[in-house]
Amino acid sequence: MKKALLSTLLAGVVTLAVEAAVAADLRVGYSADVTTLDPANHRSRVTEGVILNMYDALLARTDDMKVVPELAESWKQIDATTWEFSLRKGVKFHSGAEMTAEDVKYSFDRLVKDNAMGGQTSPRKSLLGPLKDTSIVNPTTVRFHLAEPWPILAAYLPFQQVVSKAFVEKVGTPGMATQADGTGPFKLVEWRRGDSVILERFDGYYGGSPDLPPVGKAGVDRVIFKVIPESASRVAALLAGEADIVDELPVHAIKQVEANPRTKVLSTNGTRSFFIPMNNTRPPFNDVRVRQAANLSVDRKLIIDRVLSGLATPLDGLLSPESYGFNASLPKLTLDVDRAKRLLAEAGHPNGIDVTLDVANAFKDVAEAVASQLTRAGIRTKVQLWEQTTLSQTWAKPESNNRDMVFQSWGDGALDPVGIFVPVLKGKDRGNYSGFANKEIDALLTSADTEVDVAKRSKMYQDAQAIVARESPLIFLWLPQDVYGASARLKNWKPSPRGVIKLHDARVD
Amino acid sequence: MSPLRLAERLLQLIPVLLGISVIVFAMMALTPGDPVQIMLGDSLADQAQRDSLRRDMGLDLPVVERFFRFLGNALTGNFGLSFFHRRPVMDVILERLPATIELTLVAMLIAIAVAVPLGVIAAVKRNSLLDRIATVGSMLGVSMPGFWFGILLILLFAVNLHILPVSGRIGFGYEVKMATGFVLIDTLMAGRLDSFLDALRHMLLPAVTLGLAMSALLMRVTRTSMLEALSQDYVTFAEAKGLSRLRVVGRHALKNALIPTVTVAAIETGSLLGGNMIIETVFGWPGLGRLVVEAIFSRNYPLVQAAVLIYATTYVLLNFLADLLYTVLNPKVRL
Repeated sequence: MKKALLSTLLAGVVTLAVEAAVAADLRVGYSADVTTLDPANHRSRVTEGVILNMYDALLARTDDMKVVPELAESWKQIDATTWEFSLRKGVKFHSGAEMTAEDVKYSFDRLVKDNAMGGQTSPRKSLLGPLKDTSIVNPTTVRFHLAEPWPILAAYLPFQQVVSKAFVEKVGTPGMATQADGTGPFKLVEWRRGDSVILERFDGYYGGSPDLPPVGKAGVDRVIFKVIPESASRVAALLAGEADIVDELPVHAIKQVEANPRTKVLSTNGTRSFFIPMNNTRPPFNDVRVRQAANLSVDRKLIIDRVLSGLATPLDGLLSPESYGFNASLPKLTLDVDRAKRLLAEAGHPNGIDVTLDVANAFKDVAEAVASQLTRAGIRTKVQLWEQTTLSQTWAKPESNNRDMVFQSWGDGALDPVGIFVPVLKGKDRGNYSGFANKEIDALLTSADTEVDVAKRSKMYQDAQAIVARESPLIFLWLPQDVYGASARLKNWKPSPRGVIKLHDARVD
Repeated sequence: MSPLRLAERLLQLIPVLLGISVIVFAMMALTPGDPVQIMLGDSLADQAQRDSLRRDMGLDLPVVERFFRFLGNALTGNFGLSFFHRRPVMDVILERLPATIELTLVAMLIAIAVAVPLGVIAAVKRNSLLDRIATVGSMLGVSMPGFWFGILLILLFAVNLHILPVSGRIGFGYEVKMATGFVLIDTLMAGRLDSFLDALRHMLLPAVTLGLAMSALLMRVTRTSMLEALSQDYVTFAEAKGLSRLRVVGRHALKNALIPTVTVAAIETGSLLGGNMIIETVFGWPGLGRLVVEAIFSRNYPLVQAAVLIYATTYVLLNFLADLLYTVLNPKVRL
């Protein structure tokens, strides 16, 4: 028995990595499994990253975050609440059926109508703001009707993929979770739950957006998203030649991956800003001078270089420099311990203050680095570790939580202030952990919500940023980069600032 | 065992499961964190969206009503929808359970194959060099963290030697038609030797990582109980009869000595089923352990509840199985 086992094992060992030998397979080491394949039934970027290789959307984003047509050929705004989209002709679903205005209307009805998904409402509904209805003008034209003006509709459309009406009616919403029929460059072969999603090139692909060259079929035969949750194992898969792209490359592996001639490191600015809300509702941080002092006490560049391996961009405000409405003329936040101490003394704390910085376990290292710098400037900071969910809950009500500071981040894939500036800094909004409430800001943000003039709206956000810079409700920190590991044989792919892995153009040697 | 006795044992499951349901439900309800908030994350969400999700998840009801609803539905085998997969919890769990069971059983086989012979030899050749090596080895095995040992194995066999895969259950190039859910069996049934061997290669590192840790414990137990058995009168008597050493140890002592080993093996199997999420994470093994840990972090109540009930049932049944095995090993034991 033992002998038999041993010889079987040896035989297994001799049949070496066959999968590595097939040239046109692109393997992604992915940090998590998708939760569903239904484009309308999730709120997860990991899930979206796989889905949008199978499903295209009306509009897409270029790498510099410009919105361009994809399944739509063009679009225009008819009036403040009506938008019209002309659809590309000859677009086919994987099943062979042609995409029509019917499918587009069906897809968006499924997203925004209550109970439209087998009795449930799509969790993506609010990503379409006040969109209430879609009408068919002719087989290649649809109109979107909004309940109120919503200038950022186009910016949010790349997040919503078009499904086939016939297919959904055939398999139902339960079937959509595990099967797929999209218009995208790859079609589903198999989803092995918890293990991998296997896709193959769709030969009937219309080519994709002309604004995102190259136009044409996908460059590889197959794509495999292989779930490898442990980062050390993901790095091992890359080094062993079992993966062509791995996401969330840990900082400690960067040198090793760079040193290996068969692997490389790729990175791009992420969409998640890091900052530290100070509790503006109670002493000591209800005094603007103390908050300004805190902002002057942090050496962002030093922490980025030493703790984050240089893979982050320092921020003087909340927004990513790539965001719409970014104010490039905010005062630069540089380390000035003397001024910080003077400000503290003016605020009545000549001997400094003692405060606590709350942080989720995952960010302990950086939080400790910030705390030691604050301490040097007289803001003696103790770090307290929390479980993330408990922490969020505690800070949802800063006015009654009796806490001082919290290490926070906010992600905004659409790179529009409405997705980050509003929730974090508008009075009582959902991510406002600092308890900051400023009438001027609230008024600006409210009017920007419905301002249709692009330049005017941008100006409103820039003004708001200037006020926030003065009021300093948060310690502004940095924008980390998304870091990927890649094999040397991978060509024509670079990380997207949206944080998703779209593989239409990618090739492998 | 009489059918009546069997039924009685099975009926004992009911209060156990009920108690566990109450505890798990209460613990999840008391843990801070809102699944709606976790699902929506940072991106745009208004109150209407929150309300509709809360209703879809059944969280708009008071907690007591939620519990009785859960209980009523559970009796009919309906454990609700997984919050994040938005599919029936049982579907999601059953997709992942076979991978965990398969890994556990193979690991247990490896553990027994290593531990029992080593334990017996260590006892028979007490204080020999071999005994010492086995003792030190088992100390190492017990104290070495699985994730560390696992990563070491990956670095050696996958990254440096390139002879075994880093992670996963089977290569994507190999077809599997799932019938039983156990890849090793399914590939053989389909007559796909290539797929079977690939599955075996994937199985090797995680199973050895788990198995060796467990074999350390089993070896200690086997050695101790063997030593005890060897000091018994019936062994002395058998030796006095002039039976060979092999026959004394193999036939007379071993049977009795194995009883504690069987108990420990059964209980360990139970805890392995629930507790190998670390190994599953390191090796990207698509099992239930990883799913449940993710579910706990994302406050996916229905999935956690159903999974814990499954764990509890398995645990109780495995204990029961160990009791049954006693009667086989030692006819004097009656249930």
